[in-house]
Amino acid sequence: MPNKEFDIKYFSGLARIDLTPEEEERFTKDLNEVLDHFKELEAVDTNEVSPMAGGTGLVNISSEDEIGLKVGVEPLREQFPDEKDGLLRVPKVFD
Amino acid sequence: MDLEKLTIQEANKGLREKKFSAQELTSLFLSQIDDKDKGLGAYLEVAREEALVQAARVDALIAEGKPIHYLTGVPLAIKDNILIRSRQATAGSKILENYTAAYDATVIKNLKKEEAIFLGKTNLDEFAMGSSTENSAYQVTKNPHDKERVPGGSSGGSAVAVAANMALGALGSDTGGSIRQPAAFCGVVGLKPTYGAVSRYGLIALASSLDQIGTLTKTVGDAVILFRGITGYDELDSTSVPNLNYDELLVFDEERIKNLTIGIPKEYFVEGLSGEVARGVEEAIETLKKAGFKFKEISLPHTKYALSVYYIIMPAEASSNLSRYDGIRYGTRSEIQNLLELYLKDRAQGFGPETKRRIILGTFVLSAGYYDAYYIKAQKVRALVKQDFERAFEEIDVILAPVTPTLPFKMGEKTEDPLEMYLSDIFTIPVNLAGLPALSLPVKGRGDELPIGFQLIGKPFREADILGVGQIYESS
Repeated sequence: MPNKEFDIKYFSGLARIDLTPEEEERFTKDLNEVLDHFKELEAVDTNEVSPMAGGTGLVNISSEDEIGLKVGVEPLREQFPDEKDGLLRVPKVFD
Repeated sequence: MDLEKLTIQEANKGLREKKFSAQELTSLFLSQIDDKDKGLGAYLEVAREEALVQAARVDALIAEGKPIHYLTGVPLAIKDNILIRSRQATAGSKILENYTAAYDATVIKNLKKEEAIFLGKTNLDEFAMGSSTENSAYQVTKNPHDKERVPGGSSGGSAVAVAANMALGALGSDTGGSIRQPAAFCGVVGLKPTYGAVSRYGLIALASSLDQIGTLTKTVGDAVILFRGITGYDELDSTSVPNLNYDELLVFDEERIKNLTIGIPKEYFVEGLSGEVARGVEEAIETLKKAGFKFKEISLPHTKYALSVYYIIMPAEASSNLSRYDGIRYGTRSEIQNLLELYLKDRAQGFGPETKRRIILGTFVLSAGYYDAYYIKAQKVRALVKQDFERAFEEIDVILAPVTPTLPFKMGEKTEDPLEMYLSDIFTIPVNLAGLPALSLPVKGRGDELPIGFQLIGKPFREADILGVGQIYESS
């Protein structure tokens, strides 16, 4: 496992969370400790093991691509923070 | 009515025999909440009027002679990460402060069919991330056995509601021990069902391959009733398992149960397990030996790696699940310039420290360059943890182990050290990684001392085995 200082600015940016300088300092310390703990996994021989995917090895299920919305639109729209004339407003993506 | 001794089974009987009305029963629990909850902080929301309206409807059904189900008129508490239509569902987070659920979770729909009564929504660690219920954005919940101590978590509110007689039963969710650990700390019975036995539709997701809704009750008999009320196939949850048959739960076959062999995993009785907890678990083993059970020592060699595996997989899934909280669909819009700024600010303000820590850790283990070393490695070791159980279950039917390494710890004792907090889940996590059912139940005869829990772990979909052994322990 890589032995580098946790790059908190890069990963909090990827996670889309603004951190304060105090949070950056605290999380770097905490996460370095946690990553250090993970090093114990290096001792486990997993060369012949397939990784699990999902919880219990259940088989995939598929369904027809049909609209099955059982929740009305209204309760969802009521939650929306910014609405005008029945339309939902979101911040602009491009300047 | 002796509230200390009142169970779901007896409440149901009392309603059938018209010893009391559903409104009287509900009012009694509401007054318990009024008296006690200020000091305990179990509930985030009490739905007084709705509960009394539900109770009045139950009384009308009884008066008309309509059929009474096992859970009809039974006052329950629901963890606030499970959706009840038109009610709040904060998941203990500021980011969902103003959210109102648009639909019922499938478990709630099932309980509504049985005419159960919902007293309110209970406190939890934010997004069920925590082992002490100190990570809620709203309040801390206290252990009714000692208010200086934590009730465990993340379903701390639900466990306290049941332990302090502020509900007859409760629903919680268990991702790495979040039902069993608070049950052990509060002296109640907690059931984490097999992955796929209970629909997760309408449960606010933490880690989808690990999460499972389960029950908190005073007795194992009540766990049987409440579990039966929520289990079943659901087309809205693609991991829900079809054709489950739990009819066996209703016919308690003592002879069959007594022939089960119980395994004791030596890896669970190691350094780090407190002497007092070890003695408590030993007492439970002695009681079951006297009841006639055969015991066998077993080995689950990868147990010690489960914590690392869990704290890679769970944050990975959480970082993905929680990406939906982006400030677009709900929340408030502060003055922002563009979309990226909205994401960064809304998530910075809405999430608490533990949630941020886990999202960032999950983002890290899934990122290019680290994915194989952490995430894939963890999924491989997870397969080995699961294999350990499969091998063990070739020789034995049920596994008995401690739930927690220590007695309930003091408030604030572990909040500054996340790794220390994570270690309190070492005995509960392997069950979630392997998708197994497990029942946490209190060691008997503790009197006024702090409760100790032990757990019975079963084969997949063999809830009947662990609930059966649990019932024999309770009556021994």
